[in-house]
Amino acid sequence: MTSNNPSVFLLMVNGQIESANFPQYDDLYCKYCFVYGHDWAPTSGLEEGISQITSKGRESSQSLVWNFPIEITFKSTNPFGWPQIVVSVYGPDTFGNDVVRGYGAVHVPFTPGRHTRTIPMFVPESTSILQKFTSWVMGRRPEFTDPKVVAQGEGREVTRVRSQGFVTLQFNIVTKDMKKLGYETSSTENTAATSHQGPGPHYTV
Amino acid sequence: MAELHIIGQIVGASGFPQSSLFCKWGIHTGGAWRLLSGVKEGQTQVDLPEMGDMAFWSHPVDLHYTTKGIQGWPKFHLQVWHQDSFGRCQLYGYGYCHVPSSPGQHRLQCVTWRPLGSWQEQLAQEFVGGGSQLRFPDLIYSGADRYRLHTVAMGIVELELCIILRHFDKYGIES
Repeated sequence: MTSNNPSVFLLMVNGQIESANFPQYDDLYCKYCFVYGHDWAPTSGLEEGISQITSKGRESSQSLVWNFPIEITFKSTNPFGWPQIVVSVYGPDTFGNDVVRGYGAVHVPFTPGRHTRTIPMFVPESTSILQKFTSWVMGRRPEFTDPKVVAQGEGREVTRVRSQGFVTLQFNIVTKDMKKLGYETSSTENTAATSHQGPGPHYTV
Repeated sequence: MAELHIIGQIVGASGFPQSSLFCKWGIHTGGAWRLLSGVKEGQTQVDLPEMGDMAFWSHPVDLHYTTKGIQGWPKFHLQVWHQDSFGRCQLYGYGYCHVPSSPGQHRLQCVTWRPLGSWQEQLAQEFVGGGSQLRFPDLIYSGADRYRLHTVAMGIVELELCIILRHFDKYGIES
């Protein structure tokens, strides 16, 4: 197994889609998928998944808990196209139609260790008030035909979105052979400091 | 040659007078740097946040550079624009920040500013909107001609970047 001249490195991602915070909505479920570059390939684990429907806590907690597992391993020769996880959240509207409540994406963390990511979730906006009304009546909101566009940088200048919630993800990252291939992902002096950065910023909702 | 990966997101912006914002961004490098793959400029979506004052863009950035020298280390330049309900756009701020030189995960807060203009222009802006813009946007990331400007502070743009270096140590570069 151990070779001195590896040509690929491995990235193991263990984690969970922990919870969400959508003040206005309830009874939501989520889907996830990974978007990665040409040099990347998954070697084991599930690339996409769909969670249960969850409701807000009846007690004080207003968060939606999914506790949904993610386990996947990637191999690659080049960090370009580093995997991103795309999460989309769906739930019923007032008439019971399933509509999208948010799209979000984040890069899988780069350094080994445990990481928490809180990602903003947004939906595309209707372009006119008339369209907004008809989409409300018909129960068909604007959606991305492919949620993977939220992981792409091109062609976004034409989209208007509304951010309306957050999803919290947990990651445990293990990498193999990145150092051997010459990649430095953390500075040598403060390795300890960067890998224990703690939970990211807390956004107020 | 040494390689540099810049991977991350332009997360969003806060502290602007209105929160329906979008951002035009680009990366400027010195002559020794060559972009192997990735897109080095773009424009984010327009976010109209439902709550709070922060606009979220979650705009992915993934760049792969090689370099023959460390002069002209890459820097981000940003233009934050406001889009109103009629689709009219107004400049809200310019800003730039250097890409960190140490590998690892970084959360950057880029401060922004906009040109103030003369008092007549400021008065006009109060009533009809608009405002002064730079004729030469390279002033955003160069210090040469800044002394002629009078500017005012605007909000903050947040970036989350991971820097991956390769073979810098082979050339004796300490970062």
